[in-house]
Amino acid sequence: MLKQMVRLLTAALFVSLPYAAAAAERVADPVKAWNNHFKTWAVVSIVVYLVVTVPLIYFVFKYKRRHKDETGAYIVGNTALEILWTIVPMIIIIMLGVQSWAVFNDLRDVPKDHIEVKAVGFMYGFEMYSPEGIKTINELRVPVGNVKVNLSSKDVIHDFALPAFRTREDMVPGENTYLWFSAKEPGEYPVYCAEYCGSGHSSMLAKVIVMKQEDYDAWVKKQKGEGTTVAALTPETKGKELVERLGCLGCHGIAGEIKAGPALNGVIGKSQELEDGTKVVIDEAFVKEKIADPKAKPVKGFGHIMPPNALAKEEYEAIAAYINTLK
Amino acid sequence: MSTQPTGFKSWLLTTDHKKIGVMYLVTSLVFFVVGLLLAFIMRTEQLDITKKVIIDADLYNTAFTIHGAAMVLFWMIPVLLGFLANYMIPLMIGAHDVAFPRLNALSFWLYVGAGLIAVMALILPGRLDTGWTGYPPYSIVGPANTAFYVFAVHLLGASSIAGAVNFITTIITLRAPGMTWGRLNLTVWGLFGGFIIQLVGVPVLAAAVTLLLFDKYLGTSFYDGTKGGSPILYEHLFWFYAHPAVYVVALPVFGIVSDIISTFSRKRIYGYTSMAIAIMIITVVGFETWVHHLYVAGTLNWTRVVFMWGTIAIGVPTGIKTFNWLATLHKGSIDLKTPMLHALGFISLFTIGGVTGIANGLLGFDIQVHDTHWVVAHFHYVLAISMSMLCMGAIYYWFPKFTGKMYNEKLGKTAFWITLIGAMIAFLPQFHLGYDGIPRRYWKLPSQYAGEMRIAVIFSYITIAGFLMTLYNFVHSAIKGEKAPANPWNSLSLEWQIPSPPPFYNFEQIPTITDGPYEYGKPADTTVKAH
Repeated sequence: MLKQMVRLLTAALFVSLPYAAAAAERVADPVKAWNNHFKTWAVVSIVVYLVVTVPLIYFVFKYKRRHKDETGAYIVGNTALEILWTIVPMIIIIMLGVQSWAVFNDLRDVPKDHIEVKAVGFMYGFEMYSPEGIKTINELRVPVGNVKVNLSSKDVIHDFALPAFRTREDMVPGENTYLWFSAKEPGEYPVYCAEYCGSGHSSMLAKVIVMKQEDYDAWVKKQKGEGTTVAALTPETKGKELVERLGCLGCHGIAGEIKAGPALNGVIGKSQELEDGTKVVIDEAFVKEKIADPKAKPVKGFGHIMPPNALAKEEYEAIAAYINTLK
Repeated sequence: MSTQPTGFKSWLLTTDHKKIGVMYLVTSLVFFVVGLLLAFIMRTEQLDITKKVIIDADLYNTAFTIHGAAMVLFWMIPVLLGFLANYMIPLMIGAHDVAFPRLNALSFWLYVGAGLIAVMALILPGRLDTGWTGYPPYSIVGPANTAFYVFAVHLLGASSIAGAVNFITTIITLRAPGMTWGRLNLTVWGLFGGFIIQLVGVPVLAAAVTLLLFDKYLGTSFYDGTKGGSPILYEHLFWFYAHPAVYVVALPVFGIVSDIISTFSRKRIYGYTSMAIAIMIITVVGFETWVHHLYVAGTLNWTRVVFMWGTIAIGVPTGIKTFNWLATLHKGSIDLKTPMLHALGFISLFTIGGVTGIANGLLGFDIQVHDTHWVVAHFHYVLAISMSMLCMGAIYYWFPKFTGKMYNEKLGKTAFWITLIGAMIAFLPQFHLGYDGIPRRYWKLPSQYAGEMRIAVIFSYITIAGFLMTLYNFVHSAIKGEKAPANPWNSLSLEWQIPSPPPFYNFEQIPTITDGPYEYGKPADTTVKAH
């Protein structure tokens, strides 16, 4: 019996080897590779499901108990049959595993010709850095081509999930992880945080914007010469733009809704109890201090999760001015 | 032979394995209802996935945290390793009680204590919102009172380790004369595998959460990546136990399905030896799978490959078991009583969970669906609903034995079909969301899935209604059911050979066993061979 099993197992491996070799070849497009992999899996799964449920239903009808004292046939087992339903699933699993391994290599091995960008997760948003060092919040602009995204986090574990490109990877504080994707078509592709990170988890969304090379170059140029246009804005408008860009709205509502942090509207002039029991009346100075160092005077009823922000003096003032307009 | 003590105090101070078993059953059913209630709340919130319906994000996060913990740690594991192991193992192996009856009582009361802490975590300020996984750094820097979580795990861990020691000893040393390993019920084999996993795994989980406690309250930095620790370390330690914990539930379930199918087909279980071997293989290989929870956590690429093979290898012994069940039905004499329906319904749901679980195990496949609704759908099919349903089937099956009453057959079957129809559909839409890569644990979702999620909500309500009917059946029949005969199913298994309910010391004399529990229709000539 042992000999028989060894022989069958060897045969199983031989059947799967040519298949393995074919699957190990590198596919040009990981998205296509994943889609093919899904189709293979789906066909196998439907067959397996039918192989289990059809006989089950058939036997239930065919061998229904006819009279009270009836007993089933006395069958202990059948070695050949049992070996068959050990070996066949084994072959199927080896085949699927080899194919999946190949897809995994496609999804993880970064091609030589690529640009590198950086994404840093925070509660609740993504800071993105272009190869030129331009910082954006919750949108990553890239030219058509292969892009490697280096990932890290400022606070807790987040995840940079990019379903359109069939890839994702966690952003772990204190560690460096990566993913890559091949941006072929200009357009917008959603990014989700896929590792649970607290109150704002389901609003931690972003997008990858793939641009034609010339559009991208124009965007870079505009960003570099940005200073002149921003200076012309009023503090309130600039503050609004900053609050949106920095991702503040992930945790703070502006229409009275309580998220991970207090709502921003009407907060200036409000009497607020701090964690140590003292009461303060919130003014613009308090707001500016809180943005720079949120842990200094924690207010009652919220966690200590807001990250500190190092901004320019007029940026603090712009944000405070904007919050003052929210009623 | 002493008589059965009665009264409230006799329950409170009991060391009788049957009374402890019943207390486990009642307590775990209470947590099942808590879990159902939270499921109902979360599903209601999903009626509109674009704006708040009844609860805000924070309450939603607490709801799924406690739902997961209640269902896995306080319902499924206790109903199997608490109720079933306690009540049935001594009866099935022919013993008066377990090896350490007082330790057994301690296990139960520790479990109750842990449960009370879990309920506190749900209602007191600093509500637990970390997910049942409690990943740092969120569980350290977040607003939750992580101490609740840690202490609940500590108490439950002590309970589980004591229980594992107790039952492993019982199975090894207290088997009646002639009760060889080859004559054990597969339920006992499954529980044996489950207890081994508990003994090896739970201490690791306890260590993991203890370090969490140190990090949060004593300022250490085991899990702080910026100070030389690593949050990934916690994920490894947590899943080293928490993935095999799935098999702690699954192995006894496999055993019960075998027992029920054999009894109601009046046919020897097909391939008994391969069934027992498959259980032990899963017990061991179950510890070589945990990194699939870290497939996208920044672990080294080659470790992910190694654990892919470990994970999908589990499909082979599981497949063997499924085919053996089918072969047992073949040429059987099948009676579709309520427990049998539950066993067959289990197979139909579990297979959906099985094939989608292979997908999760496949490294390349998983990258797209990791931490998405696909995973939620998968584990509700493979574990949550299918195995909860099977636990109901197990309670139906042994109901005459431990209550001495018959359950209501008609209501039992109706409740079964309602539960099954609900369960078949309730999580299907979420495979679609997962295929599109939509993450789980999202309070609100992209609006294009609103219609599908509403279907999921309606069928979840149906599932919940089915379960509530089953629970009503239990309560009503325990009070008003007809008196049950000692062996209503004409089973050959040892627990059915004594009166229902069993007398205080189970067996007047320890029986001598001459044959296995599945030898239906065995010819008088016993020279039949395995070929």
